[in-house]
Amino acid sequence: MERPIAYDKLAREDRFVRMRARDVAQLKVEQGLPPFPDLTSRESIKERVHGIMVGELQAMEGAGRTVCDFPDAPWEFTMDMARQVWDESRHVDIYIRLLEHLGGYVGEFPETTILWRCACAEDAAARVAGVNRGLEGLACDVFNQMVHIARKIGDPILERAVDFVLADEITHVRMGSKWLTRLTEGDPERRRRAVEFQESIDERFNLGGARRDGDHDAVPISIAREARELGGFTGEEIERLIKTTQRSQVY
Amino acid sequence: MADAPFARACEPGVHPLAGFASADESARLIRNCRYAVERMMRTLGGWIALTPELSAKLLLGRHVWDCAQHADLLGKRLPELRARAQVSEAANAEFAAFMDAIEEPEQPGQTIERLVGVYRVLKPHLLATYEADLRRVNQVYEPPTQKILARMIEDERQHVQAGRVVIGHLCASAALEDRAQAWQARLEALLATARGVTGAGLPESTALDASTPFPMLNDDAHQFVRLERPLSRWPMPEALEDAVRAFADALLSGDTEAARQWLTSTADLHEGAATALAQLSPQAHRVVALARIGQKRAVKIRIEGRAGAAMLLTRWSSTDGGWRAELLELARVDPALTA
Repeated sequence: MERPIAYDKLAREDRFVRMRARDVAQLKVEQGLPPFPDLTSRESIKERVHGIMVGELQAMEGAGRTVCDFPDAPWEFTMDMARQVWDESRHVDIYIRLLEHLGGYVGEFPETTILWRCACAEDAAARVAGVNRGLEGLACDVFNQMVHIARKIGDPILERAVDFVLADEITHVRMGSKWLTRLTEGDPERRRRAVEFQESIDERFNLGGARRDGDHDAVPISIAREARELGGFTGEEIERLIKTTQRSQVY
Repeated sequence: MADAPFARACEPGVHPLAGFASADESARLIRNCRYAVERMMRTLGGWIALTPELSAKLLLGRHVWDCAQHADLLGKRLPELRARAQVSEAANAEFAAFMDAIEEPEQPGQTIERLVGVYRVLKPHLLATYEADLRRVNQVYEPPTQKILARMIEDERQHVQAGRVVIGHLCASAALEDRAQAWQARLEALLATARGVTGAGLPESTALDASTPFPMLNDDAHQFVRLERPLSRWPMPEALEDAVRAFADALLSGDTEAARQWLTSTADLHEGAATALAQLSPQAHRVVALARIGQKRAVKIRIEGRAGAAMLLTRWSSTDGGWRAELLELARVDPALTA
């Protein structure tokens, strides 16, 4: 089997429309819309849920590739990644059902492949740093905010389902923290590269500046300090992340 | 008929402490099974990204973790048998070649082969092997192995049944079923050459009751199939539907001038694209995807012809003159892809 595979080999049913995140954001800005769904209406929640659904799909595919691509990695690492595949498959199921709950359908919005591209990093340490800590950390922030919004708008279906997904995501962040350390033990250069990769993701994917430090009601997407601490982020790392949100790119 | 090594060891009258294998031999058999399970787990994991169909993706995604747990249970049993933990070993070179063949189909259009290899050949064989082993392991001193076998048997039964549901869904034509059977026959021949996962021969296959429900987990393959079903009707504004139809009709009839009337000035129907479409002898079109980008709509149109099919990606915008395509991209032309 080919290991690893090129990122353009990601296979999809015809009902998905794949676009670059930058192009989607630009088209929306040209129409006077925010580049990313802001969770202020049921429609924007639906669009966000669709984005998360394809993210979960790519997370499942990425973790699956990690199981496949690194046969010489520690066995416990493979076990954690295999567990993550199962978790992500349930998340896909959950988010498709949430999408239906919100009146949407699979393929209703374009798919971008940001997560998948990160999951194609050649080094296993970079993958867990970028995907498990960078992107799943971002997922913790978004899901935490969604639970809050679901509670506020009185949608217990959304609230309960996302709450359980959030619990899984914290576990995945924790796995990322553990394996970033273990895989790079005795190799500071490898660790530095992996951490740099994660930080580049943190800087780029702040959801158009929507992710910020602050209370749920004061900012569009609040950085989930408690969830991140449970996932193994240090106070220093969270402070650094907050700083990056102040100089975020558009997408 | 089962090969002789798989006959029941504990016949009436046989001493309860009689066993079929030494501890060392038992460890070897476990390493052999672990080889198949570990490779299968990695293969399933790798295939998820290469498989387009959602039902198949979710099926593979659900089973990777069970396979990992099986490999882990087998691997942890090894030190209890004076062997190194978490080691896999192919029974022979022929079995390794069989697993190589299982892994072969990596193209997006080979989902049937991927699933058939695992769910009609490998997993049923492992299930039969585990059941045969469960019948012959000593019930006094091998309960640790018995428990592992019982767990794997339960999971594999469910996996095989779920796999068959998804294969049944994806084998939508006689041609696909022929392909599935040809691939299955090739793999079964390789498996027979290897004399199975342990090299000791092929145990009698297990009868599965298709009506057995999935008792514990929400792993119902019928649900995966349901999640895969596309919409029967696209939620498209009527005017857009009319515009897309008129545009695609013009393409079908080879009237590029009429087709161009549905484009904005930013879009162009290149001669190369028009020629490529004409070469397919197009006969029919249908919308296969509809995505929203604010007020704009991305529409994928599949053009089907006598000589193959093509996929057009278009983006439509509501203008003063009605809906017009502002982007047109011939995403894929596949002469072999017929309706």
